[in-house]
This record gives sequence, C-alpha cells and structure tokens, in this order.
Amino acid sequence: MALKSDYEHGRTDSYRVATVIPTDDDNLMADGQRKSRRRMPPKPAKKENLDDLKQELDIDFHKITPEELYQRFQTHPENGLSHAKAKENLERDGPNALTPPKQTPEWVKFCKNLFGGFALLLWIGALLCFIAYSIQASTSEEPSDDNLYLGIVLAVVVIVTGIFSYYQESKSSKIMESFKNMVPQFATVIREGEKLTLRAEDLVLGDVVEVKFGDRIPADIRVIEARNFKVDNSSLTGESEPQSRGPDFTHENPLETKNLAFFSTNAVEGTAKGVVISCGDHTVMGRIAGLASGLDTGETPIAKEIHHFIHLITGVAVFLGVTFFAIAFILGYHWLDAVIFLIGIIVANVPEGLLATVTVCLTLTAKRMASKNCLVKNLEAVETLGSTSTICSDKTGTLTQNRMTVAHMWFDNQIIEADTTEDQSGVQYDRTSPGFKALSRIASLCNRAEFKGGQEGVPILKKEVSGDASEAALLKCMELALGDVLSMRKKNKKIAEVPFNSTNKYQVSIHETEDSNDPRYLLVMKGAPERILERCGSIFINGKEKVLDEEMKEAFNNAYLELGGLGERVLGFCDFMLPSDQYPSGFSFNTDDINFPIDGLRFVGLMSMIDPPRAAVPDAVAKCRSAGIKVIMVTGDHPITAKAIAKSVGIISEGNETIEDIAQRLNIPVSEVNPREAKAAVVHGAELRDVSSDQLDEILRYHTEIVFARTSPQQKLIIVEGCQRMGAIVAVTGDGVNDSPALKKADIGVAMGIAGSDVSKQAADMILLDDNFASIVTGVEEGRLIFDNLKKSIAYTLTSNIPEISPFLAFILCDIPLPLGTVTILCIDLGTDMVPAISLAYEAPESDIMKRQPRDPYRDNLVNRRLISMAYGQIGMIQAAAGFFVYFVIMAENGFLPLHLFGIRKMWDSKAVNDLTDSYGQEWTYRDRKTLEFTCHTAFFVSIVVVQWADIIICKTRRNSILHQGMRNWALNFGIVFETALAAFLSYCPGMDRGLRMYPLKFVWWLPALPFALSIFIYDETRRFYLRRNPGGWLEQETYY
Amino acid sequence: MPTEAEESIDAFQQYYARPHLVIPKKKKFKEIIYDKEDGTIFGRTGSSWSKILGFYSIFYGVLAALVAVCMWVFFQTLDPRIPKWTLDESLIGTNPGLGFRPLPTEDNVESTLIWYKGTEYENYKHWTNSLNEFLAVYKTPGLTPGRGQNIYNCDYNQPPPRGQVCDVDIKTWEPCTQENNYSYHKSAPCIFLKLNKIYGWIPEFFNDSSDLPETMPKHLKTYIEQIQIKERHKMNTVWVSCEGENPADQENIGPINYLPFRGFPGYFYPYQNSEGYLSPLVAVHFQRPKRGIIINVECKAWARNIHHDRKERIGSVHFELLID
Repeated sequence: MALKSDYEHGRTDSYRVATVIPTDDDNLMADGQRKSRRRMPPKPAKKENLDDLKQELDIDFHKITPEELYQRFQTHPENGLSHAKAKENLERDGPNALTPPKQTPEWVKFCKNLFGGFALLLWIGALLCFIAYSIQASTSEEPSDDNLYLGIVLAVVVIVTGIFSYYQESKSSKIMESFKNMVPQFATVIREGEKLTLRAEDLVLGDVVEVKFGDRIPADIRVIEARNFKVDNSSLTGESEPQSRGPDFTHENPLETKNLAFFSTNAVEGTAKGVVISCGDHTVMGRIAGLASGLDTGETPIAKEIHHFIHLITGVAVFLGVTFFAIAFILGYHWLDAVIFLIGIIVANVPEGLLATVTVCLTLTAKRMASKNCLVKNLEAVETLGSTSTICSDKTGTLTQNRMTVAHMWFDNQIIEADTTEDQSGVQYDRTSPGFKALSRIASLCNRAEFKGGQEGVPILKKEVSGDASEAALLKCMELALGDVLSMRKKNKKIAEVPFNSTNKYQVSIHETEDSNDPRYLLVMKGAPERILERCGSIFINGKEKVLDEEMKEAFNNAYLELGGLGERVLGFCDFMLPSDQYPSGFSFNTDDINFPIDGLRFVGLMSMIDPPRAAVPDAVAKCRSAGIKVIMVTGDHPITAKAIAKSVGIISEGNETIEDIAQRLNIPVSEVNPREAKAAVVHGAELRDVSSDQLDEILRYHTEIVFARTSPQQKLIIVEGCQRMGAIVAVTGDGVNDSPALKKADIGVAMGIAGSDVSKQAADMILLDDNFASIVTGVEEGRLIFDNLKKSIAYTLTSNIPEISPFLAFILCDIPLPLGTVTILCIDLGTDMVPAISLAYEAPESDIMKRQPRDPYRDNLVNRRLISMAYGQIGMIQAAAGFFVYFVIMAENGFLPLHLFGIRKMWDSKAVNDLTDSYGQEWTYRDRKTLEFTCHTAFFVSIVVVQWADIIICKTRRNSILHQGMRNWALNFGIVFETALAAFLSYCPGMDRGLRMYPLKFVWWLPALPFALSIFIYDETRRFYLRRNPGGWLEQETYY
Repeated sequence: MPTEAEESIDAFQQYYARPHLVIPKKKKFKEIIYDKEDGTIFGRTGSSWSKILGFYSIFYGVLAALVAVCMWVFFQTLDPRIPKWTLDESLIGTNPGLGFRPLPTEDNVESTLIWYKGTEYENYKHWTNSLNEFLAVYKTPGLTPGRGQNIYNCDYNQPPPRGQVCDVDIKTWEPCTQENNYSYHKSAPCIFLKLNKIYGWIPEFFNDSSDLPETMPKHLKTYIEQIQIKERHKMNTVWVSCEGENPADQENIGPINYLPFRGFPGYFYPYQNSEGYLSPLVAVHFQRPKRGIIINVECKAWARNIHHDRKERIGSVHFELLID
C-alpha cells in the first residue's frame, strides 16, 4: 500500500519535533550549570520550550558505536559504573525523576481566597466600620458599639468564607495527591560488576540497566543487548503496537531508531540491557511533561463568568456607594453619617454568601460526577464540560477498547463478521464449517501467545496475555470459539517453529496431528496475506481443496482490500499436511536451514483485527452531536484505521464523504474536488505540518467532521489552539504523555484513569476513572445543568439585594427611620438565603439539556443584562414593595402613620429626643422608638423571607411552568422550611433582641408580605407562559436569562 | 412525530446552519454611549428603549397600584383616634419617659445642652423663643383644634368625662412666664417638663407617704409627706424630682423650685387622644445654678408603674445646663 508507506514517512518527521534535547545535554562533562537546569526556569521557559519543540533533534547516542558510548560515560557493558562515579553523577544531576510542576505556595492560595472576589469590597466595608467606630469613640462619650460589631462581623464573614473556599480548594487538590504517590519503581542496575536493585530515582547517566518484560523503562536508555525485546511506546507517541528494540542503529530519528528505549514506556516482551543516556527532566518524556507544565492554561469559562459577575456587582456597589455618599453630603449629612451610609450600601449590595454558594454547588456537582466516574481535579472544571463546543478525542483507549480483537474472517470465499463487543453480545457465526475448523486450527497452533497464569475467574476478553497484540487477539478469538486452546496445542504438539521476522513476514510451525493414526505432520503458517498467497498452490473452500486460479486470487484480493479498507490489520493463513513418506515420524526439522516445503501450501483464509470501538461510544458521540458538540478525532494512529474507527463510532457520519471519497466516487484527482463540498476530512499529520494557521482555521470551519491522524504532541497543541481561536471551548481527551501539552492547553483536559500516564493525569482537569468516552457525556450533562442551576441560584440570591439596598436609599432620601439594618441584611445573605440558593444545585433540568446547543461564551453569560433586569428591576422591586409595606404597617399600627415618618429621621435617631410624638399624640422615648425600629427591621427581614418563598419557586424554572417542573426537589423544599424556621428562630429566640437586635413579631406581621409573594408567583408564571407561547419574542429577548 | 435520531440531526444541522461564533468587538467608551454604526445609545436603539421603558412603566404602575390597594385595605383596619395596639400590646410599652423644653436648635438635635449667657438677649433668645412657641398652645386654646369645646375644669375629685380635656393653668408658673423671659435673663432658667403621653396609660400613684421607694430623693419624700398632711386630695399625682447627676452637679445645681407644684396631677390620665388634649407641665425653676460650669441634671417621674433607667432614659430625662 503506497499510501501507507507515504504516511509512515510523515509520521517520522512529525515526531521529531516533540523530542528535542538541547545540544549541551549530550555532553557528559557538563559543568555546574547543569544543576541549575534541573528546574524549569520560571517565566521565559514557556516561550523557550515552545521554540525548543520546533528545533531539530540533535543527539547522537544512538549513532555512536557502543565503545564510544562506554567511553563517554566512563562505563562498562559488563561491570557498569563504579559506585564512586555513580555517586558523583547523582550529586551532579540530581535524582532521576520528573520535577513536579511548580505549586503555588499554600499561603498565596489562602490569601487569594481571603482577598479575591467580593472579599476586597467587604474588607473596605469592615475598615470603614472600624474607622467610623474609632472616630466615634474618640469624639463621643458613650459611643455606640454598632460599627465596631459590624466591622467585626464583616471581617469574620470574609475570613470564614475565605477559609471555606480555601478548604474546598485544597480538598479537591488532595484528590490528586493520591495519584502522585505511586508505587516506587525499581530498576536492576549493574555497578562494579554487581547486580543491584535500586530505586529508579537513584539511576544516573552511564548506568547499565537490565530490563525485562513487564518493567517500566527507568530512564532513556541505549540498548546494547536485546532478546526479543519489545516496548510499548503508546504513552509517548500514541502508537498502539509494541515496537521491537535491539542494539542496531536503524534511523536518524531517535524516536524511530531501534536502539533507544524511553523513560516511562513499558517493556512488553523480552529482555534487554542498556546504558542510561538521559535522566529525569532531560528524558524525552520529561521534556514533554515540562512543556505541558510550562503552558499557560488561562481561566476556566466559569471563572471568567464569575469574574464578569463580580465586576458587575462591584461596579454597581461602588457606583451606588459613591453616588449616595455624595448625595448624603449634598443633603448636609455629617461626613461620618455619609460613611455609615456607604458601609450600609456596600453590605447590602454585596451578596456575601453567593461565592460560598457557588463553591458548594460546584462541589456537589463534582461529587455527583465522581460517582459517575468523572473525577474533577479543579472545581471550576465542573462547568467547563458543559460549555464545551468541541471535543478533541484521542482514539486509542478512549474511543476504542485498546485491545486488538479479531473483527473479520474470510474463508469459504465469504467475509464473516466476528463479535468485537466487550460483552460478546454481537452476532455469532457458524463454527462448524470445515473452512472455519481449518482456519481456527492454524490460528490456534501457529500462535505463540499464552494466557498469563492465575486468571481463572476473569472473562476471556479481559485476561492478560503474554505476546504481541495480534497473536493475543487470535488466541482470545479462538478461546472463545473453540474453548480450550491450550489442550488443543497439547494434542497437536509443536515440533518446530520459525518465528515471525520482518523479512519473511510470515511465521510457520510444524505440529503432530491429533489423529494418532495419521503419521503426517501438519505445517501451519500465518503472515502478511500477499506473502502467504504467494506460497500457496491451492485453496480450501467448502471442505474441498481447489486449485488457486485467477478467479480465486481475485476473490482473495477483493476480500483483502475490503478488510484493509476498514482499517484492519489482515493476516493470511495456510496449512499443509507434510507427506509421511518424505517426512516420517521423528524427522528432524531444521528451522535455520529450512528442510521442509514452504511453497505450494493450501490457503485457508484471512483474519483481520482491529482495536474495536467501545460499545457505548457511538451512542455517546451521537449524544454529543445532538448537543451541538463537534467531536474531532486526534490520533497518532494510521489515517485509514482512524477513519474506520471514526466511521464506526459516528465521528464521520454515514453518507458524509471526505475529499478523497468524492474524488474516488467521481473518478477525478483529489486536487479537482472543491474542499467545501466535503463535510468530512481526514487530515494527516504530515499535511498539517505545512499548513498555516489560516488554513487550519479553514479546515476547522468548513469541515464538520474531522479526523486528524498521525499527529505529534505539538500538532495536537496547534489543533487545540486553532479551535480556541474560533471561539470554541475545547475539551481534549488523552492518555499518553504526548497528549499532555494539549490536555493542558485545552479549556478542559480529560485524562484516562486506568490507562492514562501520570503526566497526562497531572496536566488534565478531569479524570475519567473508567476510561470511557461515554462518561464525558455525563460530564457535559452535569456541566450544563450546573450552569443553568447556578444562573437560577444567582438570580435567586441577587433578587434580595433590592429589598436590602432600597431601605438605605429611602433612609437617606426620604428621611424615614431605617427600615432594614445591616445586621439583618447579613442574616439574609448569610443565613436564610444560603440553603435555598444551594438547594437549587439539586434542581432537575427543565428540558433535555443534551439537545441544546453549547452556550455562546460571548453572549450566554452566567449573569447577563436580562438576569439583572429580572432580579433587580422586577422581582426585587416587588420584594422591596413587600418589605416597605410591612414596615409601614408596623409603624402605623404602633402609631406612626406613613406620612408622619417622612422627614422624622433626625429626631428619631437622636438620643437627646426622649419624647417623639406619633400620629396619635403618643410620645416615644428613644428606647421605645428603637425597639419599634428594630421590630420593623425584623419584620422587613421576615417579609423578605416570605417573598423569597415565591422567588425560590419561580427560580426553579426559567421557561417551564412550575406545574410542569413540580416540587420534587426535596433539598429545595427543605430549604424553604429551613429559611422559615431560621427566620422564626432569629425573631423569637430569647436574647436575640440583645444579640442581633431582632425582636419577636406578632403573627399578623408575617402576613402583609403574602399578597406580594403571590403576585411574584403569578407575575412570573404569566411571564413564562408568554415566553413559551412566543419563543424568540420581545419578552424572551428582554427577560429570559 | 420525528424520531429521536431525526431530532438530534436537526439540532445538529441547526447548529451548523447558524453563523459561526462571532467574537464581539470591544467597544470604546464613546461607542458605548452612542454607537453610530448600530444606532444605539447605551447599547439600545431608540425603539428598543421606548419598548423597555414602556414595559417598566406599566410594570411599576401595576406594582404601585398593588401597593396602593394593600395600603387602602390596611387603612380600613385603622382607627383615626385609637392606635391599633396600645400599652403592652404596642411597642411603646407602659413605661413613659419625660420630655423637657426648651430643646437645642434643630441642627443640634443630638444635644441636650442648654447653654446661654444670661446677660445677652441675643444669646438666650433661642431658648425663650422656643418656649414661647411650645407654650403658645397652652396660652391660646384656639390653636389646638377641639380644645375650645372640650375644655373641662378638672380637679382631683373631678376627673374629666370621656372626650373632655383638662385645662392647664399657665398663670401658676409665675415667674416662669413669657413676660418674665422665663427668668433666663436672670441666669435662673425655667425648664418645662412633661410626661410622655401613652394612650390609655393609667399611673399607679405613690399616694401613701409611708410606702415610698428607697431610691426616691429625700426632699421629694418630705414634700410628699407634707402634701399628705396639708392637701390630701392632691396625693394622686405623678411626682417629679430633679437632681444633679453626680455629687459635683448636686452641689452646683442650687435650689430648685417646681411650679405649679411637684408633679403631674392624676386627673390628666389616662390619655385617650381626646381632641384638644394638652399634657400637664411642670416648670422647673433653677434659682441659683452655678455659672460657667456644666451641670448634668436628671429629672424623674415617680409612680409605681414607672421604672427608671438612666442609660435607657426611661421614666426620666437628662439635660445639661451651662450658664455663662
């Protein structure tokens, strides 16, 4: 396949960029500079690293002769380093471990929580309180302690919420600690001729190490001796197949050459001995990890939204505060009074409890997601998946099962589909035909793979197998079809074997037959189909041996092309019964100098294998689609395989063609096809290398279904950046180290919990504990739900700001006794409003949120003009009206009719006036007036609680009727009861009059707010009714938040 | 009914049919106020502004109507002459305080200091003027609506019938009269005291000199004893005492004369908001207060159901005198 080899070359180059090791690094005789290089230089590192990536790789460890290598490291292939030299090297270079990413010091994190968000505004409020108090204290004989207490309360509020969010933050980061404490790795090292087992961290340059299958490569090593040694480079390059490694220098590119094995990749087969050529951060793996940690990640969307919101509210608070400060001056208030007004306005304006509410809501969602196998490292990332509009998914392990499985067989001139599902729920095929029997015999016997011991209870597909992936696939397939392969092998004892090698491209073995009467030996062979066919003279079809004529060859070719076109790896199988006269029992077969026929064999069939998609993936992709999320596949694998998987999981949907498909259909060259016509595209890494960012944008814009194959880590990064440039919020999934820069750069990086490398987990924001793409859909759903619910929660919380601020404004402008005090405001913000606001996090979605488009990050803000208009302009105003009504009712019932109150403020608040006359001629002492005033505060507070009942119910839905939504959110129902109980407690508990200046209310004073609560409910139900009746209408544009 | 799959495909195509994300332009400050391109003022076009203003004026109109209706309904439950809640049911309680006149100027509302120079009319004019104003209603019954026809000549054994009000005889305040400048020019000011009106409050008098509280000042005790002997019928009185707050003040305060006598006659109570009702007054004449020094004065009203608290200023009143 010409196409394939073409791409092969492209891959080679694209990998090069990822593996830069600076030129000075190869020099063993490095001076003291080295030590300082161990840590990533702080700021400029980012830029440098990205540039580094583009540099050509320049190491020569793989090129030089072994002797030169030993000399350079002053080591010996048999004896290894001397202890002294090893110690010296260790002191010079430090331990062989990746430097963990730089952590923000704990106290900085704490301070951020203590002074971030609204905290600064509240600190200003507290400071003003202390200033006001100290001035009062120094000028007046009996200063009122109110300001001192208020200042203390404010400071406590800020500190407590700060500690709370710090605690939440550190709790979620602790989850990560569990990943860090990995089981220590050990390595077998030869030093001074002795074999030692050391911790991998203690390895140094020049150490001679021994590696065997199952080990993790402890550092970058140059292989000097190997027996059947294979490594799994998938975490580094994304290639899913094990690569063989030996002492020979085969390629200029260090990643391609066969004599280098890399840190943190796994040895899957054989044993090897090697010399350590780089350690820790200087290893290829270390450099990619370093690049990832150097990347700037930017704010999460929800953080942006919250900042936007904080700016908005702070702006309003400062504007109102300064305006009324000025107005107070103009009205001739004492400046100290003006300052107190300012404090009141700030306290009323800032929703003190809101940020804590948001944190709790996010935590609740994070917990819920963790129970659904999505572990969220960073709380804010909870929402990010919800706003995601593009998912760049890795293929291997995420979309696929990461397990080669037999997908198709061709025998008796027909293609049979094998069952590739994880639970064997797929189609079954006829296992009794002679063709299958012959094929299965070859596949079982000509196979070196074996099940590892001690896996009795494990389902066959989940069993671990030693041997290469294709043979394992065949073994499992046969075990499923035939039952006990092992006993079959025992019955057909292996006499001789020629293992697979890259020149022959076949594997052959000779067995005794089961039939003890038959003295003939059985020769079985498998390998590259075209090579196998070459060696065959006949073909076995429907139980009869036929001559392999042109017609049969044509049939073979069609089958081969069809299977190959599905992106599957195809193997051919043939057998031959050796004539007993020439090869009698006891014949000595020579496998080196072949003394048996390997031509004119009998062709039996083909089997093809693929890493099949996970069962839940097609459904999940469809769900993402209907949720308006573009799913892009980015993989290191072959384009054809990638395309086949993309088609089978629906990333390329049925009927959509790529440029190549169109060209093929119309039978015209690719260059003549209008790229706009093709909705789908398969882009090769090699092409991507020559593409400008504008062209990439074009690809991303005009193709809705894109597969990027053979991509390098840097290209993954470029793709992510391209998507982000178009305004998309990008999620990246990946498990390998090669994915980690993209994971870091993405708005949300999703790592795999089982197969994922530590580096990728570290770079990611979220970890899928079951490695299943379908869990992402859960994440999207939860993320969207929490965004909606946060909106509702904020709408609920902000509404009560108006009844909190308006009393102050009326106090200043109308000179009435203060209707609501700062302490009661805090009781609302931090007391009664908290539980209901948090309970909205449990609210069920209104409609199928997975059928909606992702939100537009520029327009669908968490807090937008419409929300403010609703909360402040409409519902808040009704609430304020309710509060004032209750205030006037209590004042009037006690003697002060409403008109009497205007302008009374100075007299009311003067301690000197001991006989203030009310509307009934009664005269009030200062104390009695204040009791009345504080009773009004309490009643105003209670009336806010009453109207908040209605508010929480209307905030449950943004569009639907509450009759439709129901009251099944029990957390919310509890919230309503809780706020009422708390309000009653604050009002009636003895001692509250001294502590919080809250007084018991007559029962009837709870009632005046009810008509307003009812009108809030009726108004909003009506509004939402029209909203539903006239979608997109004016009311929706102005009030649908 | 479209199937679920069809629906999802529709949604998908809708998404890609919609114009791609347009990153909004950053507006300059000037453009925020008025954007020529979009024809928007503060982000809205003229018609958009008129619609939203129309909406909000209707909204607030309805809200105002709702408040008005609630208020109207509420006012139906109120009596114009009797407070809805009285005495202990009301927050005013049953423990009246005392008030004093003259008060300092309006812009000095936090102060209770009576500070003047006796030799200069200009200097004490505020105090005498404010007393003139305060006492005008007592002098001219016509100023208080309904007082003329409701006036009743009350005495201890002749309490007013319901709806009638008692007269307050201003002549008995001599020398604390307007003609005499309330004695301010003689640096011997008169301060008028009144007991706070509480609807329906009935004092429980100390009408037995043998049963007086220990905290009562001695001079008042002796006074009550004398009254009990001489004018027994006057015993149903809310007694008044004024003293210097601290020992120093008590020295500086000098002799005090209470006019017309040391208390508020019991027949003024209970206050029932009858038309034309005026509180009884006691003029406290500080005859020789020490000059040039602040004197803290505390006056208390005495009845069994009046409790005193200096800090809360219930049952009492506090003011300072400073005569230069």
